[in-house]
Amino acid sequence: MQSTSRIAEKAKFPAAQARLAQFVAANPDVTLSLVTSSDGFEVAAYPASAVAQRICAMSSSLQALSEAIAREAGRGSSRNLIIETDNGTIVVLGIPNTAPRMSLAVIASGGEILGRLLWAARNCCAALESDLQA
Amino acid sequence: MIVGNEQELKIVFTGPMGAGKTTAIRSISDIPPVSTEVDNTDRATCDKDSTTVGLDYGQLVLEDGTSVRLYGTPGQERFSFMWEILSKGAIGVILLIDGSTPTALEDLRSYAQAFHRFSPDQAFVIGVGRSNPEDAGLLDRYAQALAAGGIIAPVFDVDVRKREDVLLLVETLLCILETQVPEINNAVH
Repeated sequence: MQSTSRIAEKAKFPAAQARLAQFVAANPDVTLSLVTSSDGFEVAAYPASAVAQRICAMSSSLQALSEAIAREAGRGSSRNLIIETDNGTIVVLGIPNTAPRMSLAVIASGGEILGRLLWAARNCCAALESDLQA
Repeated sequence: MIVGNEQELKIVFTGPMGAGKTTAIRSISDIPPVSTEVDNTDRATCDKDSTTVGLDYGQLVLEDGTSVRLYGTPGQERFSFMWEILSKGAIGVILLIDGSTPTALEDLRSYAQAFHRFSPDQAFVIGVGRSNPEDAGLLDRYAQALAAGGIIAPVFDVDVRKREDVLLLVETLLCILETQVPEINNAVH
């Protein structure tokens, strides 16, 4: 079952890839950052990781489930998804005005303060918005 | 699972992308189904606008009050982590196959084996859609292919848009379970 998505075929988006590299360099507790299409294909990942494709698929599932629960609860659209673990944090944010819709997933170690991580990830999303439209 | 005096049964609908899992649940659910469909960017694999990436969820209440929870999986293998999650606690699997695709038989084998691995005791019922009506031996060949892999399951020609066709799959699954699990006897009758 090979993926034949035009997103997967596009050999990543170089501007998005460079943006993620900048983001990770500026936020040392970030261990992996990914841009994923809403249907689970990897658009960009930094640093390279053997689990990137799998986490992209999982991020899109979580994003869709968070949309579903927000809708079911009558609370509008889901904006951020935050998973706090024993030794780290995972956040998934929708990237505005992307079609098909894309998301940024960030995995950080326990040293990162959640508020700062969200602030940095939001800024990265805003930059990715223009990168992905270019 | 028995909750108070009432039973709740969980059934999983699975199969490849475009086989009709979301439609099947929509056809029989008593509630508006929960859907996690998004834009499909993989038109080469399946030419449709949207695809399920999380799960589908619906509910069906049987005449005796038993609630059947209907879960649909994403079809693509990259979402196989959801297959395992959704299989937990399920009493059986309804595997839908698009009979018009050249990979139908291979799909049948691979999905049946994947779900059989998650839970070897789970019952299976197979629904084949869009099959060639002139191919009289198709369903038998599918059943034989499964049997060769150690899975015995009834195979039906179905149109998942039709409530009665999907109900036939569910009822057949419950009939199989009736002979295996004593507590389901009361739910079915």
